[in-house]
Amino acid sequence: MKNSFSLSPIFLVAIIFSLPAIFIFLSLAQDFSSNWMHLVDTVLPEYLLNSLKLFIGVSIGVFILGVSTAWIISTCEFRGKKFFSWALILPFAIPPYIMSYAFTGLFDSYGSANDLARFIFQLDPETVLFPSVRNITGAIIIFSFTLYPYVFLISQTSFLNQSRDIFDVSRTLGLSRFKTFFKVALPIARPSIVAALMLVGMEVLSDFGAVEHFAIPTFTSGIFRTWFGLNDLTTAKQLASILFMIFLFLILIEKYSRRKILYTSNSTSNRELVPTPLKGYKEFFAIIVCSLPIFIGFFIPFVQLLYWTIFHESTFFSSDFISLITNSLSLAAISSIICLSIATIINYIIRIEKNNFLSFINKIITSGYGIPGIVLALGVLNLFLMLDNLSNIILTGSLIGLIFAYCVKFYAVTNSSISSGFKKISINLDNVASSLGSPNRRILKSIHLPLLKSSFLIGTLVFMIEVIKELPATLILRPFNFNTLSVSAYNFASDERMIEAAAPSIGIVIACLIPIIILIKLIGKDEIE
Amino acid sequence: MKLNKLILNNIEHSYGNGPILDKLCLELIGGEITCLIGESGAGKTTLLRIIAGLEKQSGGEIILGDRVISDHMSFVDTNKREIGLVVQERALFPHLKVIDNICFGLKGKKDYKIERAEYLMNIFRIINYRDSYPHEISSGEQQRVSLARALAPSPKILLMDEPFSSIDRALKFSLRKDTKEILKDEKITSLIVSHDFNDALEVADKLAIIDKGKIAQIGEPRSVVLNPVNNQIKKQFLCETGDMLYWKSKIDEDNSNY
Repeated sequence: MKNSFSLSPIFLVAIIFSLPAIFIFLSLAQDFSSNWMHLVDTVLPEYLLNSLKLFIGVSIGVFILGVSTAWIISTCEFRGKKFFSWALILPFAIPPYIMSYAFTGLFDSYGSANDLARFIFQLDPETVLFPSVRNITGAIIIFSFTLYPYVFLISQTSFLNQSRDIFDVSRTLGLSRFKTFFKVALPIARPSIVAALMLVGMEVLSDFGAVEHFAIPTFTSGIFRTWFGLNDLTTAKQLASILFMIFLFLILIEKYSRRKILYTSNSTSNRELVPTPLKGYKEFFAIIVCSLPIFIGFFIPFVQLLYWTIFHESTFFSSDFISLITNSLSLAAISSIICLSIATIINYIIRIEKNNFLSFINKIITSGYGIPGIVLALGVLNLFLMLDNLSNIILTGSLIGLIFAYCVKFYAVTNSSISSGFKKISINLDNVASSLGSPNRRILKSIHLPLLKSSFLIGTLVFMIEVIKELPATLILRPFNFNTLSVSAYNFASDERMIEAAAPSIGIVIACLIPIIILIKLIGKDEIE
Repeated sequence: MKLNKLILNNIEHSYGNGPILDKLCLELIGGEITCLIGESGAGKTTLLRIIAGLEKQSGGEIILGDRVISDHMSFVDTNKREIGLVVQERALFPHLKVIDNICFGLKGKKDYKIERAEYLMNIFRIINYRDSYPHEISSGEQQRVSLARALAPSPKILLMDEPFSSIDRALKFSLRKDTKEILKDEKITSLIVSHDFNDALEVADKLAIIDKGKIAQIGEPRSVVLNPVNNQIKKQFLCETGDMLYWKSKIDEDNSNY
């Protein structure tokens, strides 16, 4: 039954969630100050060039790491394959800025790696064996090893969906396994891989912590410097608008690629790929290729942070640390409850109304995921400043702003989980319940909600990982003197107090690792796709 | 043009739950079309995969022309066997246009590839779909593309796994007719795996019945259908049609057509 009251929540949420983006774009209508011209003449080309270098470099890096490991895991059988298939996801637990802290501590002139090398080879104290990572190449390596799981997971799904027959036919037409990969498997997976690369690109361009730590001038660090260095919020917002437009372009490419996936994966065969058993040097090679990303992307930073925390940071379990964890987890919990409630109501309305326009509006609400954290923070700040003026209640700098920003940015995560959960519930269940006299509310309460339990769990876990890792929006919007794990790690690292940054960093890694392990277990039980 | 014969000697294969193929012997005479029919799980597709080199048999030898391509000592890799394969699901490369699918296995200059592909597209009446993607054409047209692609490199042997299933009845008849014509024109030794006796009656020169991993009967299709050597084979015909009289009348009808 359609009524305007049931539709109003969707439109209301859509309008409220779009406001930060609208405020950012409105800045383009304002006059461009002399600071803007100064930026254009001096640093803007550098911001663009560095962002482009990072984008291209990281795309190549994650492509090599993600696609090669996905291909090996999907098509080969070798010792340890089961372990690698989940361990390759572990670097998701380490945000790029945390890895950059660990790697600077390792590879700086007097870092652990150089100290160890000098000790082993009895070298002079001035000798530096490992080069510094505080440059674009270092950033590319760090982003590649922390973000490749996006490409790994998406490519793996694509490879596993390809039919065995296609590979068989290709081989009967004269192509070797190697050529079949390049001429058949890779082109078929291309739309999926492009979509994954766009997601990685968005992560790279919106990163603030790693590029700031390495002092690489990019768009995000430029926005920050313009705001705090030049004290010019309008120009910072205008820069943010440009970054947002680049993002919209990437989102369009990503959406276009996803549309193409529909037909490239439209195989008429359901015969699954049969993994080829590997022996001898081929098995050894597969193990090395799969071990390398886990070793560099997870093991090294994790051990380095743990070492600093346990052996150098005596206040590991201090009350400060407990309060940081409590702050991070409670923020994540509150925002996830809000988002799950919104996602459940909206998806329920879409289910009973069966209206494509509502689905479209819901897609608009989910597009907040594509707004870089720093851009979103500026938009939210602007919105709350206006509300302060209108209501005489000071909302700016309160937790409400921060929770609102998390909801706008990560609503897509919970929506995806709840929406797929609803799709799995047969509409016949609703019909039968209705025929037995149950009103819609009872169907939601007694049938949908119990069946959505695993969707709630998955949505909450992924949402919490995202919130705990988030840095720029938290840094800008948090109340004065309110610290989270990510802000604390950033503050220590920006003062070059790397050892003290280790405790909150390891806190982030562990807080992300627990949900990831639960998710891997759920995947193993086939409870989620 | 040299006609290629294929000899399968004592082929054995198992997957752990007993043998799939049990000392199977079969000879495909050069230029002839043989149809292999059997129940699900009889080992038809496994045999096809073994001939194509996609799996290695646990015993026996395969001779193509004058050359042993697989025995306990040697194994020629799939991509070097020059054996064409058409599968039930068509397995067209979804990212390539029709013409590129057909050119895929061709070697040589671009002009030659296009000329050969267009020749086959004309024969299979799919020239209008030259620049279409597989998802843009019907299942019958997809099967024609799949056949054209397999025939393009002039394979020594063509293997077809249920090539006419999952196609409309009306289309099936014309596709069978076209396939037979081109296989005869190109003088390609072919093995069709199917569970439909109509495929054998309308396309094949020979019909072989596979049962429990062995060839239970082989001969001219009409003679095999009308004179099954055991009850198991007879049951297969009856299960499919309900009545042996159906086959008699069908064969009479076919004879009058030919």
